[in-house]
Amino acid sequence: MDVSLTRNFCIIAHVDHGKTTLSDRLLEHTNTVQQRVMTDQHLDSMDLEKERGITIKSHPVTMTYPAKDGRLYKLNLADTPGHVDFSYEVSRSLAACEGAVLLIDAAQGVEAQTVANAHLATAQNLKIIPVINKIDLPSANLELCMKQLEDILMIPAEEAILASGKAGIGIVDILEAVVKRIPPPRWSEHPHTRALVFDSLYDSYRGVITYARVFSGAIKAGDQIVLMSTNQKADVKEVGIFTPKMQKVDVLSAGDVGYVVSNIKDTSEIKTGDTLTLSRNPATVMLPGYKEVRPMVFCGLYPLESNDYEKLKAALGRLRLNDAAFLYQSESSVALGFGFRCGFLGLLHMEIIQERIRREHDVEIISTYPSVVYRVKQHGHEEIEVDNPVNLPDPGTIDYISEPTIKAAIHIPNEAMGDILSLVMEKRGTVEHTDTLDTTRVMLTCVMPLNEILVDFNDRLKSITHGYGSMDYELGAYQPSDLVKMDILINADPVDAFASIVHRDKAEGKGRALCEKLAEIIPPQMFKVAIQAAIGGKIIARDNVKEMRKDVTSKCYGGDISRKRKLLDKQKEGKKKMKQIGKVSIPPDAFIQVLKN
Amino acid sequence: MYVHVPFCASTCDFCAFYQTSPTADGVEGFLSGIEEEANLVEWPRPVTTVFWGGGTPGLLAPTDIIRLGAIIQRRLGSVSATPPSEFRSPQLLEWTVELAPASVTDARLAALKEIGVTRISMGVQSFQPALLDALGRQHTLDQVMRAYGRIRTAGFASVNLDLMFALPGQTEAEWNADIDAAVALAPDHLSAYCLTFEEDTKLWVKLSAGRVKLDVENEAQLYETTWARLAGAGYAQYEVSNFARPGHACRHNLATWHMHEWVGLGPSAASQQGGLRGANIADLVEWRARVARGARMTEDRVALTPALLLEDSLIFGLRMNAGVDLNALRHRYPDAPWSTVDALVQRLAEDGLALLETGRLRLSDRGRLLADAVGAEIMESMDEPVSA
Repeated sequence: MDVSLTRNFCIIAHVDHGKTTLSDRLLEHTNTVQQRVMTDQHLDSMDLEKERGITIKSHPVTMTYPAKDGRLYKLNLADTPGHVDFSYEVSRSLAACEGAVLLIDAAQGVEAQTVANAHLATAQNLKIIPVINKIDLPSANLELCMKQLEDILMIPAEEAILASGKAGIGIVDILEAVVKRIPPPRWSEHPHTRALVFDSLYDSYRGVITYARVFSGAIKAGDQIVLMSTNQKADVKEVGIFTPKMQKVDVLSAGDVGYVVSNIKDTSEIKTGDTLTLSRNPATVMLPGYKEVRPMVFCGLYPLESNDYEKLKAALGRLRLNDAAFLYQSESSVALGFGFRCGFLGLLHMEIIQERIRREHDVEIISTYPSVVYRVKQHGHEEIEVDNPVNLPDPGTIDYISEPTIKAAIHIPNEAMGDILSLVMEKRGTVEHTDTLDTTRVMLTCVMPLNEILVDFNDRLKSITHGYGSMDYELGAYQPSDLVKMDILINADPVDAFASIVHRDKAEGKGRALCEKLAEIIPPQMFKVAIQAAIGGKIIARDNVKEMRKDVTSKCYGGDISRKRKLLDKQKEGKKKMKQIGKVSIPPDAFIQVLKN
Repeated sequence: MYVHVPFCASTCDFCAFYQTSPTADGVEGFLSGIEEEANLVEWPRPVTTVFWGGGTPGLLAPTDIIRLGAIIQRRLGSVSATPPSEFRSPQLLEWTVELAPASVTDARLAALKEIGVTRISMGVQSFQPALLDALGRQHTLDQVMRAYGRIRTAGFASVNLDLMFALPGQTEAEWNADIDAAVALAPDHLSAYCLTFEEDTKLWVKLSAGRVKLDVENEAQLYETTWARLAGAGYAQYEVSNFARPGHACRHNLATWHMHEWVGLGPSAASQQGGLRGANIADLVEWRARVARGARMTEDRVALTPALLLEDSLIFGLRMNAGVDLNALRHRYPDAPWSTVDALVQRLAEDGLALLETGRLRLSDRGRLLADAVGAEIMESMDEPVSA
């Protein structure tokens, strides 16, 4: 097929603005998927994705569309991950396209991720097709959306297409715009074969499957490919396209989006953003934009039952196969036994992995307090990275500790301004500037330490703004900060799982809150139990676990002994399910509850 | 010896004991069954205490009481079978029969006296008519007072009244009034039970349905009030729920808490004898059938190992105010994991849950309120392998 008849595009939107439903309509209209096999949200196949309305893995699809100009076009739609945690993955998916359909919910208007995604698309030189979606909603405000398009996104309002994915309105207009407005595949004339890796998948039968967009040249079975970032070579066993099921083809040519099955064994060897070339006549210059993704958030994951360690290990291994951005290595905790230190792109990524371990692999886990990666400089030493509070060196030896920051764009209703400013202040953030979005909303651009938004920032933003606020962020620079390690002691024993690195000014408040929370969560105990927060041996907060008041069977005679023993045995077994820290029994979900605030 | 008389006229809302309605055939079968079962038992030594529980042993007709009494007497270590001597066995220390107030008649009391019963235990539960009703009890306050008078007149050596507190809807003032009413009758012994929600009871159903609420703090306070007030009235607490004037503690129950041996006869009755613990099946017909085949103690049967006996000596012994003699137990069960037990004892003492004096361990009042939690801890510590 003539490369000029190919269009590569993606759909970008804020969460819940209707991206997946619209994708489904496009698939139906082009007969890519028969209506009868369509389930709602066809492209989001993982249960979790459906539940959360977000896309975690890429689901590219190739469609053919007979346009009004009489020609048959090949349209490659890249369904992109829709969350800030995966912004690098988003950028690589975008880089595999020449154009983007930007969806705006007619009732919600432009939101934080709309802006962030539009900026990402512009940065990749993509042609943007603005689509105002859900126009059939009674609360649709087209006028406002048009104005926001011009004022906030600098896109002429007359370019906007009015649509409703649900009602099937505007679908043809969108397909026509894709054909007419988006340019044909770029860089197709490059003398060497180059393909961009934008995702990969592990298949238990076929091994690692690489998702790639071919820019120039061609790849077919039997070729030897080279991964340019590492110079690793691999033999191609099969190539194909997504319809959206994988369908084998003879060759992937310039402009095509498809998959490559090779003899690579481990997904960690395939890096998103890498360039594939052929070992004969290889390219010398990679496609632009590759970078190493590194986990930003770490936590310890431990099996609730210590004999589930191997099961957890296997689960992590399986998840890692499909998610090269997720890292883990074994560690041990005094409180929790043997487990794993795990690294994630962000909080959502962390939650998703934890949820998948529980659901898909059926292992109950305990998670420790999440931590960002700190840079610690000790006297006379190089800077080291610390992602676990337990590994923080002796404070006396430290020159400085610096922490990662983020640059956040926070969209909020005007009336929430005061509360959000306090929240940002509380989180040690600074507001760099405020922009008026429309008569009712403003956008704050803030710099905040990443560790401050780890646990509850988004929840509180949502709660203050009654769900109307939204946030997007990108990583910023490291900044030195007065950080200390706060220990939590239960009956004077430090519990490593609860240790955290906090700003000195916030240690006391946070320590008190943590002690209070633990005192509330730990069920009444027979023995007196003190919970303390300490910095370097100095107690800064304390609380007491409630004492058990009454636990005695009233009637207990000879005939009751057997039954009584069974009850006590049950009681004892129940206690065994708890984590014993010293003589204190802590229910496993205490660890999660404490973190939830 | 314990005899379970499984007949009740109706089922109380809180009761989980095995019971069935009395029929002529049922009673006949029961009495002959007891006789057969007693023949199956090996009696290595004279019986020292007898306890007839239920059910409602008082539902038996006077003639049946005499008949059952005769079966029992044959096991008391005396060959003499001629009435009317007070004690047919010099070894017999106590013979208790449980009676419900509605079943107390002069004829029955006379029959009980005749066979040698020394102690009557009457299930009053409450002196508040509304609460009696709420518990599904079949007696009135008037019946209670008349029954008590008759029992006293008949002249038994010891009389106990059972009371219950923390009943749904019961105020603290009402409970105090119950204590006062009981003390005013001057029984020799009082059992005061905190209402327990047992599975397979109507109360449990109500609790599960949310119609009755548990209030642990209230229960704890009522326990404390009860203990203090009964002590003030001259009834010394000797176990979680049992109080007695000097010399009137129930010897039968003390023996079981000390992990001595006892023989239980009748459906659902538990025994601990000859290195075994077990219970009969809780079904009158099936119990008879099994006894006819020579089978008893067919349920929950376990071998009494030294470790188990030590564990139970601690768990059940600590429910008694006198506690347990650790030195004696250490001597009797030298191979138990004493290091973990000692560590637990240490912790209990440090936290004011127990007192350790000259080798005797007893729970403090606070500890006694947590006797189950202590029991679970004991079990856990006994789970530990013996340290090398």
